[in-house]
Amino acid sequence: MSTTMKLQETQTGTWNRVKNAVARRTEGRAVILLILVVGVIAVQQPIVFNAYGVSLARVALVGLVALGLTLVVLQGELDLSVGSTLALTGVVVASIPDLGLGIIAGLVTGVAIGALNAFLIVLIGVNSFIATLGTLFALRGLAFVMSDGRPVRITDIDSALVFGRELLGPITPRVLIFILLFVMLQFFISKMRAGREFYAVGGNRQAAIDAGIPVKLRLFTSFMLCGFVAALAGVINTLELTAADPTAGSTVLLASFAAVIIGGNLLNGGRGSLVGTLIGAFALGLMQVGLTFAGADREVQDVLIGIVLLVAITTDPNNLRALSRRLQGLIRGKANQQA
Amino acid sequence: MTESGTQLKAAPVNGTPVEGIVKRQASVITWVASRGIFIFTGVLLVFSVIFVNGFASSVNIIDVFHRASAIGIVAIGMTFVVISANYIDLSVVAQVATAGVILLALSPTYGVLGAMAIALFFALLYGVVNGVSVGFLKANAVVVTLGTTGIGAGILSLLTTGTIYYGPENGPIDAFGDARVGPFPLSAFVLILVAVIASIVLSRTKFGFMIRSYGSNKQATRLAGVNSGGVVVGAFVLTSIAAMIAGFVLAAYSNTAVATMSEGFDFRALAAVIIGGNSLFGGRGSILRTFLGVIFISVLSNILVLSGFSFAWQQLVTGAVIVFAVALDALARKAEKR
Repeated sequence: MSTTMKLQETQTGTWNRVKNAVARRTEGRAVILLILVVGVIAVQQPIVFNAYGVSLARVALVGLVALGLTLVVLQGELDLSVGSTLALTGVVVASIPDLGLGIIAGLVTGVAIGALNAFLIVLIGVNSFIATLGTLFALRGLAFVMSDGRPVRITDIDSALVFGRELLGPITPRVLIFILLFVMLQFFISKMRAGREFYAVGGNRQAAIDAGIPVKLRLFTSFMLCGFVAALAGVINTLELTAADPTAGSTVLLASFAAVIIGGNLLNGGRGSLVGTLIGAFALGLMQVGLTFAGADREVQDVLIGIVLLVAITTDPNNLRALSRRLQGLIRGKANQQA
Repeated sequence: MTESGTQLKAAPVNGTPVEGIVKRQASVITWVASRGIFIFTGVLLVFSVIFVNGFASSVNIIDVFHRASAIGIVAIGMTFVVISANYIDLSVVAQVATAGVILLALSPTYGVLGAMAIALFFALLYGVVNGVSVGFLKANAVVVTLGTTGIGAGILSLLTTGTIYYGPENGPIDAFGDARVGPFPLSAFVLILVAVIASIVLSRTKFGFMIRSYGSNKQATRLAGVNSGGVVVGAFVLTSIAAMIAGFVLAAYSNTAVATMSEGFDFRALAAVIIGGNSLFGGRGSILRTFLGVIFISVLSNILVLSGFSFAWQQLVTGAVIVFAVALDALARKAEKR
C-alpha cells in the first residue's frame, strides 16, 4: 500500500499537473451549468448573444449581489437579507429628491444593515441564518412602510437616465461597476492578507482565533461589504429603472444564492472562489435572459432557479466524493466476495 | 438522603460539587428567555383589553381565533423542524397555498375526500424532498426550503395564473368554515386537536424523543443507533402535514383559495415558535410554548390592524419581534455557558 502511495505521489508530467490543478478547483458544477445553458440558448434562442447589452446587465445584477454574498459564505455564514437590502436601498434612493444625496444615503443604509447583521451574529451570538432571516422580514416591511407598497419614482429622472447610457459598446456603467468590483474583490480575497484570512475564519474558526486572526473584525468586514454590495445593486437597479419597487429582490435572492452555491462555495465556509460565483452568475443570468426572450413567465424563472439551487445544494462535491467512495467500497467488496 | 437505607450509597467525593450548581443559577436573561412568554402574552393581553378600542368585543375575539388557527397549525408543525435544530421550513408558504387551492379547485371533480388525498400526496412530496435533502444529503435547511419554495410557489402560480377559486355555496367546505361550537369557530378546535396530538407525539412517543435528542446532539444520537436521516424526514413530513391542514382551514374560512393566500405565513409561524421560547439551537421546546407564541403573534397583529396599521407595519413589527426573540435566545445560551 505504501509503495503505491509513493508511486502516485511521484507521478509528474504536464497531464498530471493539469489533472491536479483541475481537481483542486471548485468551480466544476458552475462550468457544467454554464455549458448547458449556453448550449441550449445557442440552439433555441441565439438572439441572446446578439443582445449582449441586456444579457450583461442581467448578469451584473445577479452577479453583484452574489459577489457580496460569497464573502460572507466563505466565512461559513449566510446573509439572507440581501434581497430586502436591495429593495430598501432602492426605496431610499428614490425617496430623496437630490439624486447624489440619495445614492449616498442608499449606500450608507446598506453598510448599516450589514453592521446590524454582524452585530446580531458576532456580538450577540445569533445564528446567521436566523438573524438575517429576521432582518429580511423586518427590512422588507420597512421598504413597504416607506413606499406605501407602491413603486417610487425618481424625481431627477434626467440624471438617472445618463447612468443607463452605454459607454463603450455594450459596457454600461452598471457592467463597468460590476467588472471593477469583481477585480477589486478578487484582488482583496486572493492577494491581501485580510482577504486570505476570510478563508481561515471559514475553514476553522477556533484555529483562526488561536492564530491571532481578528475573527470578529473579519466577520464584521464581510457582512458590511455584503450589505454595501447589495445596496450598490439596489442603487444601480433603481437608477436604470428610474423607479424603486419595494417588492424587488425576491428573485434576485434566489438567483444569487443559486449562483454562489453552484459556484462551489461551501456553505460551511473555507472553500470556494469569486470566480466560481462569477461563472454561476453568468449561467443564471443568461438563463433568465434566455427565458425572457423565449416569452416565458417570471414564475418559470423562479422554478428553474429553484431547481438549480436545490440540485446545487444537494450535490456538493464533498458529499458526492464521500458517496462515490462508499459506492466504490461496496462494489469492491462485492468483487472480492466473488473472487 | 438518609432514608434510602437499602440502596447503594454514593461514594463520597472530595471538593465542593455545589460550585457547579451555583454557576447554573438562572440569570435574569435565562429566566426571561425560558419563562418570558407567559409574561409577554399576559402583558400584551392586558394592554390590548385596556388600551385598544374594540379588542375586547366578542366579534373581534372570534376573529382572532379564526386567524390564529391557520397560523397556529403551521407553527405547531414547524416546532418539530425547529426542535430538530434545522432552523425553519420556509416552504410552508407554498405548502399552505397548494393545499388550499387543491381543496377548492379539485373538490368539484374528485369530491372533497379525493381532493384532500391529492393534497396529502403533495404535502408528503414536500416533506420528503425537504427531509431527504436535509437529513440524508446534509444540505442546509434554509437554503433547501428556499429552493423548494421557488419551485413550488412558481409551479402553483403558473398553473393557477392568479385565478381565485370559490367553493360551492353551502357545500361541506363552506359549512365547515361557518361552523361554530358555542361562540368559537370550529377551526379553533382543529387547532387545539392538532396541538394535543403534536404534544403527545413530541413528549410521549419514541419519535418525539428521537427528534429532541437529535436536536440536542446530532452525533450522539446517530451513534446511539438512531436513523438520524429518518428523524429529519419525519420532522419535515409532520410540518408538511400540518401546513396542509392549515391550508384546508384557511380555505374553508373564506371559502376561497388563491396562490397568494398564505403570504407571510413563514415568518409569522417562525415568530410564534421563537417568541414562545423554543430554542433555535434545537433540542428544547414544547408545543405549549408554540401555542402561547401563536396567541402572542395573533393578538399583536390584531391590535395593529385595529389601530389602523397596514400589512407592511405588521411585517416590520413581526420581523423586529423575531430579531428580539432570537437575540434573547442567543444571550440566554451565552449566559448559561458562562
